[in-house]
Amino acid sequence: MLGQQILSGLATGSLYALTAIAVVVVFRNTRTINLAQGDFAMIGAFLGIVFLKDWGLNYYVTILLVVACCIVLGFGVERIIMRPIANSDWLTLFTTTIGIYYILHGVAGLFWGRDTKAFPLTFDPTPVDILGAVISQGHLYNMGWALAIGAVLYAFFNFTKQGVAMRALTDDPEAAYMMGIPVRFIVLLTWGLAGFIAGFVGILIAPIIYVSPEMMDEVLVKGYVAAVFGGLYSIQGAVIGALLIGVAENLAGGYIGSHVKTATAFVMIVVLLAFRPQGLIGIQKRREI
Amino acid sequence: MAQITQTNGLFQQDDSARDRLNAVNACKRRFLRQDVTATLIVFAALVLVPQLPFVKGWMLSQASLAIIFIIAALGISILVGYTGLVSVGHGGFLAIGAYTSALLTKYYAVDLVVGIIAATLVSAFFGALLALVFLRLSGAFMAIGTLGFAFFVGTVVNNVPIFEGRDGILLDDNVVLGMEIGDFGFYYVSIVTLAVMTLFVYCIVNSGTGRAFMALRDSENAAMSSGVNRLLYRTLAFSISAGITGSAGALNAHIVNYVSAEVFADIWFSVDILMAVVVGGPALLFGPYLGGIFVVMLPFFLEELADFAFIMKGVVLILVLRFAQQGVGEVMFRPIQNYRRRKLMEAGGAKVD
Amino acid sequence: MTDAAQSPGSEHLRCENIRVSFGGVVACDNLSLTVPRGKIIGLIGPNGAGKTTLFNVLTRFQEFDSGHIYYEGRQIDNSRPHHMVHMGLSRTFQNINLFGNQTTMKNIMTGAHNLMGDPFSAMFWLPGARKREKEAEDRALEIADMLHLVPELESIVGTLPYGYQKRVELARALASKPSILLLDEPVAGCNDEETAELKDLVFKVNRQMGVSVLLVEHDMSMVMQVCDYIYVINFGANLAEGTPEEVRKNPDVIAAYLGDEEDQA
Repeated sequence: MLGQQILSGLATGSLYALTAIAVVVVFRNTRTINLAQGDFAMIGAFLGIVFLKDWGLNYYVTILLVVACCIVLGFGVERIIMRPIANSDWLTLFTTTIGIYYILHGVAGLFWGRDTKAFPLTFDPTPVDILGAVISQGHLYNMGWALAIGAVLYAFFNFTKQGVAMRALTDDPEAAYMMGIPVRFIVLLTWGLAGFIAGFVGILIAPIIYVSPEMMDEVLVKGYVAAVFGGLYSIQGAVIGALLIGVAENLAGGYIGSHVKTATAFVMIVVLLAFRPQGLIGIQKRREI
Repeated sequence: MAQITQTNGLFQQDDSARDRLNAVNACKRRFLRQDVTATLIVFAALVLVPQLPFVKGWMLSQASLAIIFIIAALGISILVGYTGLVSVGHGGFLAIGAYTSALLTKYYAVDLVVGIIAATLVSAFFGALLALVFLRLSGAFMAIGTLGFAFFVGTVVNNVPIFEGRDGILLDDNVVLGMEIGDFGFYYVSIVTLAVMTLFVYCIVNSGTGRAFMALRDSENAAMSSGVNRLLYRTLAFSISAGITGSAGALNAHIVNYVSAEVFADIWFSVDILMAVVVGGPALLFGPYLGGIFVVMLPFFLEELADFAFIMKGVVLILVLRFAQQGVGEVMFRPIQNYRRRKLMEAGGAKVD
Repeated sequence: MTDAAQSPGSEHLRCENIRVSFGGVVACDNLSLTVPRGKIIGLIGPNGAGKTTLFNVLTRFQEFDSGHIYYEGRQIDNSRPHHMVHMGLSRTFQNINLFGNQTTMKNIMTGAHNLMGDPFSAMFWLPGARKREKEAEDRALEIADMLHLVPELESIVGTLPYGYQKRVELARALASKPSILLLDEPVAGCNDEETAELKDLVFKVNRQMGVSVLLVEHDMSMVMQVCDYIYVINFGANLAEGTPEEVRKNPDVIAAYLGDEEDQA
């Protein structure tokens, strides 16, 4: 029972983790808390339905297309909306993403309606047995994907020129600029990365929670909370936070009752912030934001 | 650099400091006047709305909703406009206000007026409580924290039995001072609440307390070195803001005599109020009026195209942030202000070279 | 408070063996100084000597590792920045810290925050609060008058020339009726005319209003002209102290400043 709760908690947590990574990367490179991160994924999920059901495409082709569309969405948001106000204070940047949130909600409602839709792909309900813990195939599948994406991101940040440049920008924007790192391009890439992650999250989470314009709000809030765990600057911290939240809320749901599940994340963040306002991992350098 | 070489004659006509102060005050008053005048005009229009021949019951409840939004937006303007803090969780205070008043009127049969006052105080209390946790954080963390709070409140009202979740609580007819009131009566209760809250905000902003809020907004260092206790004043601002929004929540519960977790489960309320204030003009008395009416009336006119209203809201918000960061209200006042400044320059004889 | 504590020349603000380190770097090491009542005290030293750090310690904007601070003989190690004004200690900043998009009048009025009383009576406009508000207005106007700021009272501070802003900051600091004023490089970035004006103002504040002054300054000529007594620090430690004349002749000071100039060349 316990092992099972933990395992499926980790499965949900891994999707929170992906969202949290996107939130952290966008925040530390552009000072923007992206409220629309969840809605990128929501658009991705709806597109997934279109490609799978209406166009009858193969599942893997669908994933490719959805991720590509979300990357383009990320690029578009940066180029058209965020770039002109890139030098504003964080509050303006944040409120602008609320505008994007509205627009994406409106667009989804306009094209696909406000009702909840079932994702055309479902997993085999027969659970799998891992070391005595029973887990649904869908969860296992999501965990696999999340690990793979995590590996890709790790490789990106450590072994590619752009990834290293992105980290340099985080560490010291001025020095990065001096050293000739193309800051604008990296910022564009950052939003593309947010779209990339959102595309995967959208298509992976859709079979679990059904598709609607509001589907991602709760996931986003948990991604946020996870990001705060890492002090908003640390990817590792965000991932740890996300997995903790996933497990904790599953345990709370299992042992106390399902009604406390959603509240767990908030309680955790209050407790954390009361004792460690700088986040679990802590920020090496304190920056006024 | 333009340097003012000749002093402005306006202040040098009199010798005594007191006379000069009067001149300054007159100047200040004229400066405030546009904002207050615009607010009074819209307020007068709102008072007259039910008297219009074509206004039916349903339209009246829309107008009441607009007033509720204005009140909530006034509350959040204390934070966003004057204290430089942000909250994406004021829907939570709306919920706290709504349920406080709903439970009190249903189970203790209290007067609506008592319900509203209680809602204000309870929300203010929770606002102060929340502030104590979140104010140690810098802005970005706080935004996330308040968002979490809104979700938390949504979960609580959805799951704790006394709030009756999505089934909702059905309330009796509204009673004010022992009399049952209908839609018109309720509308005027909202109007009176709006008047009280507007006056309250005006008084705060034009007092030393308001100056301390604005000092913290503009420069924390300078504020602290002037002796402003950062934590105390921010907690106070948060609490006042939550209280005002809570009173709006109470009205929201009684507008259709029904309150359910449905409306508080997501963050639309929170986001809509924040948007109203940002669009209208956060540091103006008139801003919340403008923004509140905009947010309520847009879906009203686009009834068939609710999703289009979402897109419109988003586009307007982005455009305002791009081109008029002080809000639409400020843009409306700008020509008048420019004209006045020119007049003052001519009268004062200040030379700029 | 005894009469002795109030009499001119008695100890007003004192710090003892202040030590501050950032990570492994020691910014202040065993620094001590005393500001007597009614005097202008200078604190000088080459770039990076720890002047501003010590200044921020004295105004409680900076935490310190060890040592003590005394105000009128009372230990104030645990005071917060916003307590200082209520005791009578007011400060300015090296790079101007003002409420940029508010008017000069509002800036000065905010400086009089400590005269405002409790926030509740102020925000409900209770009679007592209105009276105090009037007093604060009078006070603000008086100071604006003294600093020749009256014509700019309704201007937005952020749009004023640099020298004006420096004066507005001084006015904001004076509005709280301080008994001691700490000025962090008040003439940095000012032209000669503005420097002369600020120098006169510091004199006026000290001699007419009896306010003690601690002046951190890089500009040697200003310090030599206005200060009664000077502390010189270098590499975070006390190097020398004395009257301007003594300091000017002190070989260690000359060496420190020459070395500084060589470094810069």
